[in-house]
Amino acid sequence: MLDAIEVTKQFGAKSALDNISLSVLPGEIYCLLGANGAGKTTLVNLFLNFLQPTSGSLQIGKLDVVRHPLETKRLLAYIPEQVTLYGVLSGLENLAFFSSLAIGEHLPRQRLLELLEAAGLPRQAADDRVATYSKGMRQKVGIAIALAKNAKALLLDEPTSGLDPSAANEFSELLVRTSNDGVTVLTTTHDLFHAKQTGTRIGIMKQGRLVEELRSEEVSHADLEALYLKHMKS
Amino acid sequence: MFAIIAAKDLRVLTRDGRLLWAGGLVVILMLVALAAGWNRQVQLNSERSAGQALDYDAWLHQGYRHPHDAAEQGMHVFKPEPSLAVFDPGIGPFVGSTVWLQAHRQSEVKFRPAQDATGLQRFGELSPAWLLQVLLPLLIIVIGFNSVSDERERGTLRQLLSLGAPARSLLYGKAAALASCVGILIAPVGLAFAVLIVARLPAGERVDVVYRIAWLAAGYGLYLGFFVFLTLAVSALARSSRTSLVLLLGFWVAATLIAPRTASEATNLLHPTPSRLDFDNQLAHDVADAGRKAWSTHFGARTPWDPSVPLSKWGAALKVDDEAGYGALDENFGRLWDTFERQQRAQEWVGLVAPVVALRGFSMGLAGTDFSQHRDFSTAAEAQRRKIQNIVSEDLIEHADRLGNAHFTYKAGPELWATVPQFKYELPSVSFALAHHWASLALLAVMFCLSVALAQFALSRPLMR
Repeated sequence: MLDAIEVTKQFGAKSALDNISLSVLPGEIYCLLGANGAGKTTLVNLFLNFLQPTSGSLQIGKLDVVRHPLETKRLLAYIPEQVTLYGVLSGLENLAFFSSLAIGEHLPRQRLLELLEAAGLPRQAADDRVATYSKGMRQKVGIAIALAKNAKALLLDEPTSGLDPSAANEFSELLVRTSNDGVTVLTTTHDLFHAKQTGTRIGIMKQGRLVEELRSEEVSHADLEALYLKHMKS
Repeated sequence: MFAIIAAKDLRVLTRDGRLLWAGGLVVILMLVALAAGWNRQVQLNSERSAGQALDYDAWLHQGYRHPHDAAEQGMHVFKPEPSLAVFDPGIGPFVGSTVWLQAHRQSEVKFRPAQDATGLQRFGELSPAWLLQVLLPLLIIVIGFNSVSDERERGTLRQLLSLGAPARSLLYGKAAALASCVGILIAPVGLAFAVLIVARLPAGERVDVVYRIAWLAAGYGLYLGFFVFLTLAVSALARSSRTSLVLLLGFWVAATLIAPRTASEATNLLHPTPSRLDFDNQLAHDVADAGRKAWSTHFGARTPWDPSVPLSKWGAALKVDDEAGYGALDENFGRLWDTFERQQRAQEWVGLVAPVVALRGFSMGLAGTDFSQHRDFSTAAEAQRRKIQNIVSEDLIEHADRLGNAHFTYKAGPELWATVPQFKYELPSVSFALAHHWASLALLAVMFCLSVALAQFALSRPLMR
């Protein structure tokens, strides 16, 4: 569903991604681990066509991202580390706006409330201005947008960063439920526990290269941590 | 999709204090300007029509006297105030409204409101046109400078683009929201004003004024649209909202405050107007020269009013002398007025960098308060003066010249005065204004298209930097 084929991205002389290839199958949760500057967010930006690869190609559902930017974005939902919404609008209004853009139709209020509820936002907070929301609450609106879009693939850029443990756990459960419905998930994270808990497969990136790829059921949490530290120190 | 973006932007802007406060202030100023203009026009119209009637009545009832004495006294004619002068007084306050039609000389229009104004008037008159030309672009900048840059800084642009919102929809959605903000503020006031203006007019004049209002709306629409798209373009191109604001305010100061004055000075250098003294001296010289030639041709006299010409030809001499000067008057005033019009046309080109200059000319023209329409009135007033001169001279030839040396004992009465028709001046139609100002409208259209192209270019570049 999500394919990066021999992708290299250079910023001037600096190589952010170096001939990276990975493939995420439908229903998989692929967790990308790596230190800051490893190239995780660059890869997400390439899938979103916010950046264009220096060489190689990226495909979503077999469609080339550069050649079909709008079509591929229709298949995607994106949740960044900081879900940015319009502070003067309520959570419901934000969801109404973004979902209208995503699906091209206005959802009824009841449906919007259901989506927010499914994302874990308390119903009584739906009409409050987003400026008053915590980071976790914004994240939930972001998830509701993704749910409304009924996307085939989810791109998540460090989604649990800054969430309290309970909110992070809630988020992980939601992600698993979503992938069980056949949605493909590519998520970047620093959180080894989150990766092990939710990921189907885990990739470790270092200096723009994919240095390790493994199935999460094949490693224990301790092994994953050791492997990660080994790569970071090498 | 652009409608969804427009609706969201409009909602965000209406919840933003900037639109409420800045927009509220503009609406209040607009209402004050309209009320003041309306009041001024009602007062002026009543004073002018009363003055015109009294003056003509005084002409009719001046009793028995020598016709030339009557011609020397002459009469005053008053320029009617165009109904849309409430919206844009144009050059009206600076060129006056009354002409003294007296024998021998073509008078300038007198009684300029600007002469009675305080020094504060130098800062410009608070007219609805001035508000739309100067303050409304500032309002567009204030509410729109961060339309795109703020979305990028906050990260919502990333969210929007990740959903597959095309840049074109983003541009037109944001433009529609900004335009709607402006429309919400001025459309109700503008519509109410238009209805009031048209309703108080005689039926015969309504169609012309409706056309003028429609053309004005088109001109101002292009001008304000230019600022909407320019604001969006700069907001998309600038690295930060702060940079965007500084650039846009800099352009606003340069294009709406500095450029018009610079354009005026520059065109004066390009097409210089003579000083008052030089103009008067040249005119006097040319009139005297023409007079000398005419007296020589018709009466064999070396100088005008040569004692060798008998009093039995005094009336005929008066007619010859007056008519001899007409050519010199037409040539000198024509040259001066042509210079003013050339200056105006040269200024229009400044509209390519400062569209307010093009709009100002177009707005005055369509409001009926520009120089070309002032010239039309001055020409009509001069024609009336010549009509009086002619009637008086013919009467002298027919009655006084026959009396020989007793020429000056002749006295004409009310029958002669009544043959001078009351001065009736009709303002030129909208087609007259369009014929003079189509180039300004075309320039505004060009500037609008350029701003749309710039905004499209700005939003077609990678927005995630």
